[in-house]
Amino acid sequence: MGSVSCASKLTAAALTLGATVLLSATASAHRLDECLQVARLDVEPDHIDLELDLTPGVAVASGIVGDIDGDHDGVFSPAERTAYAARVLERIVLQVDGQPLHGQLASATFPNADALRRGEGTIQLRSRVIVPSLSRGRHNVFFRNLYHPDGSVYAANALVPDSDRVRITAQHRDGDQREITIGYLMRDEDEVSQVSWWLGGLAGCALCVLFVMRLRVGALPRVLQR
Amino acid sequence: MSSRSRITVILGACLAVAAVTVLAQREQPPRSSGSRSQADASAAIVASAQAVLATLDDAGKAKVQFPFDSTQKTRWSNLPSPMFQRNGLRLADLTAPQRAAVMTLLSVALSADGYRKVADIMHGDEVLRQTGGGRGQGRGPGGSGGGPSFGENQYYLAFVGAPAIGTPWMLQFGGHHLAINFTLMGANATMAPSLTGAQPASYSIEGRTVRPLGAENDKAFALVNALDPSQRTQAILNYRVPDLVLGPGQDGRTIQPEGIRASALTPAQQNMLWDLVREWTGIINDAFAAPRMADIRSRLNDTYFAWSGPTTNGSAAYFRVQGPTLVIEYAPQGGVDHIHTIYRDPRNDYGIGFMRQ
Repeated sequence: MGSVSCASKLTAAALTLGATVLLSATASAHRLDECLQVARLDVEPDHIDLELDLTPGVAVASGIVGDIDGDHDGVFSPAERTAYAARVLERIVLQVDGQPLHGQLASATFPNADALRRGEGTIQLRSRVIVPSLSRGRHNVFFRNLYHPDGSVYAANALVPDSDRVRITAQHRDGDQREITIGYLMRDEDEVSQVSWWLGGLAGCALCVLFVMRLRVGALPRVLQR
Repeated sequence: MSSRSRITVILGACLAVAAVTVLAQREQPPRSSGSRSQADASAAIVASAQAVLATLDDAGKAKVQFPFDSTQKTRWSNLPSPMFQRNGLRLADLTAPQRAAVMTLLSVALSADGYRKVADIMHGDEVLRQTGGGRGQGRGPGGSGGGPSFGENQYYLAFVGAPAIGTPWMLQFGGHHLAINFTLMGANATMAPSLTGAQPASYSIEGRTVRPLGAENDKAFALVNALDPSQRTQAILNYRVPDLVLGPGQDGRTIQPEGIRASALTPAQQNMLWDLVREWTGIINDAFAAPRMADIRSRLNDTYFAWSGPTTNGSAAYFRVQGPTLVIEYAPQGGVDHIHTIYRDPRNDYGIGFMRQ
C-alpha cells in the first residue's frame, strides 16, 4: 500500500526537481472553443422527453450570452430565457415515423451570465413532445440538432424507457452525433399485462412449490438435499 | 414417492430456483450481508475517519460534516475549484498532522492500487500547476475571484453523515479530476459514483514515468485489439463521443447500452474485460472489491463493451463498459493527454441499494 511518507517523498521530488511533462500540458483544463451539446431522449408510449444540455466553452460563450441577453444588461430575465429556449427548440428536428412533432418547453435552467461567459455554466433545457397514439409494432424517432452548428460538439443518446411497453431496438447516429434515429418496439397494455400475469403466476407457483418443499425437506430429491 | 411425483418436485424446484434467481436479479442489488473482512475493513475506516475528526477543532468539524440526507452527497465535479466550488476541508488549510490523518484515512479506505491512483492523479495536478496549468489566475477561463486552482493542495474532504459502524455515511474526497464518493453502511461499502481523470496523462518524477490512468488505457486497447473482425463490428461505434455521457450531474439516468455483449466474447477476452473493469472496482478496499467483481461477472449476458475511435494504442479513443449494475466510461478530451472517466452502479449509486435492503 502506498504510504503517506511515500506520497510526501514524491511530492517533494516534484517540487524540488520539477516535473517533466512528457506530453504537452495546456494552460486550461477544459473545452474552450466549442459548445458541447448533449441530448438525451426518453421515449415513452405517449410522449418523448428531450433533455438538452448546452455547455459553451469560454471562447464561444460571449456569442451565446449575447444571444440570450437581448437588452445587454448582463442579466437573463425570465422573458429572455424563455425566448432563447424557444429559439433553440426551433432548431431541433424531431420526427416519429417521419411525422414532424414539436415539443413544449417544460423547464429551462440557466447559470448567471458571468459564469456562462467564463465557460463555467450549463444551460439545461427540458421539453416534452406528445406522441399521437401508436399501434403496436416497430417505430422510430428521428432527432437532429441544428442549433449553433459552427463550433459545436454533440452527444445524443436514448435513455432506457420507464414504460415496459417500449423497448429500444436500435440507435443509429451520424459521425458527429448531431443526428440520431432510435428504433423501438411498442407493445400494447394488454400484451404487457398478459406477460406480467404469466410471469407473476409462474413465479408465484414456483415459490409455493419451494415453500412446501422447504417445509417437507424429506420430499426433496437427495441431490437437492445436499 | 411415485416417479410422476418426483418429476413434479424436480420440475417445481428448477422453476423455483429460476424464478428466485430472476426475481433476485431484477429487484435487488445483490449485496452480501458483509463478510468478516468487510466488517473489519468498515471498522478500520470508521476508526480512521474518527481519528481525522479528533485532529480538528469545532470549526474544522463543522466544516467537514454534513447531514447524510443533504445535497452535499451529489455535489462533486471533475472541474477545478473555484470553477466548481467544493465544500469541506481543503488540504491546503490543514496542519501536517491533520493532513497525515486524512491521507491515512484514504489509505485505509482504498486498496493499495487505488491509493496510488489517487496520489498519482493529485501529483499530476501539481505538475499541471507547475507547468502553467494554473497561470490563468484572475483571467481567461478562471473561476470567480481568480483562475482555476490546480495542485495537490486543492483537494477537499467531507463526511456526509457521521462516521459510525451502525449508520450510513459517506466519505467524499475530491478536486480537479477526482471525486471519490465512498458510502459505507454497516459492513457494506460502495464507491459509486466516482470520477477519475488525468491531465497530464503522463509525467515523470525522479526519472520515473507516471501514468495515473495508463493501465485503464492499455488494457482497453489490448481488449479491442483482441477482438476478431466480426466482434469489432459489434463493439466499435460509428460516431465520435466527445465527453462522458453519464458524468457529474447525471445521477439516476440510464442510457440504452450499446456495443458487444460480454457473453459474445471468448473466455480469454472476458478475462481481459474483467481485468479492465477491475481498474475501477479495485480502487476501493480489497474487502469490498471482491464481492463487487463477483456481482459484475455474474451479469455476463447483460454487460456490454463499446468503443469509439482508433484502435492503435497511443490514439485518443473513448470506451464504455455497461451492465445492470455498472457503468464505466473513459473519455479523452480532444487528445491523449487529458482524460475523464466515470464509474457508476445504477442500482447502488450513493448506496441506495443498501438502503432498500
